[in-house]
Amino acid sequence: MIQPQTHLNVADNSGARELMCIRIIGASNRRYAHIGDVIVAVIKEAVPNMPLERSEVVRAVIVRTCKELKRDNGMIIRYDDNAAVVIDQEGNPKGTRIFGAIARELRELNFTKIVSLAPEVL
Amino acid sequence: MWSVVRSRSFSSSPATQQQWKLGFSMRNRSLSSATVNDGDGEGIRGEELLKLEEVETILKDVKADNVKVIPIPKHVDFADFMVVATGRSAWHVRNIAQALIYKVKQKQKGSKRMLLPSVEGQEGGKWIVIDSGKLVIHALDEKVRAYYNLERLWSTDASNQDHGLVQGQDLDKAFLKVRPKNNSKKRPSTSA
Repeated sequence: MIQPQTHLNVADNSGARELMCIRIIGASNRRYAHIGDVIVAVIKEAVPNMPLERSEVVRAVIVRTCKELKRDNGMIIRYDDNAAVVIDQEGNPKGTRIFGAIARELRELNFTKIVSLAPEVL
Repeated sequence: MWSVVRSRSFSSSPATQQQWKLGFSMRNRSLSSATVNDGDGEGIRGEELLKLEEVETILKDVKADNVKVIPIPKHVDFADFMVVATGRSAWHVRNIAQALIYKVKQKQKGSKRMLLPSVEGQEGGKWIVIDSGKLVIHALDEKVRAYYNLERLWSTDASNQDHGLVQGQDLDKAFLKVRPKNNSKKRPSTSA
């Protein structure tokens, strides 16, 4: 459950370290975002000497949430952190590698690029 | 724009998703019971949308550069094979994707329902992914290919290089047994 003002970790090597959600893309008055949703976020903390800087507004896809994700077969997946991957307007990831496990739902939501860069798919 | 993409993905991809999951069970069922009457659609549903050889011939026909087929290690159940191809321009990259989609459509001509692979990034022309279940085809621009370096990530021996090279060296040192130096002035033979 990601809402505006939620802080998220960054699960790629794009250069951002922490994001803050400021808007959820999809509907006009959407309250919460879940895994596979696109959000608009502000970079709160960045790695020095990288293309992305602090207080830059970017788009990101949520890849991990503390709120559990339920599958139809009864499986429940819950991560320790809220994490997102920075993307550009076309949907290409800004970073070249993605860290940590990623849910299979992202592939069904047409984020195959992110899935194919990830080390592990749950 | 995103809402459009999202709605399209919801409408198209769940069908293909289920089709892969059902793929194996369907095939088994048709093998076990000989009375099952396979129609056109059934035959394709049991098979995959695209075969590796077909993809290779198509990529050769459209003159995609530097085609690489990467088998994905068994422990990752994301897909079986990944094909990476380079296009010379955005137009060429889009053309590669179009050719593959056209082939899928040709194969299913005349069937009641067409199953299409999910395609991502078709507007951009930098990196297009065609995800047909067990076979994932990446058509990339030259620069983008060098940037993301998918081969290095997925080729089996290099997978250790990318993530674990630094850690591996540290581990080697950690496991090396170092005998502590005996600096004491005492004679070692006192107990004996």
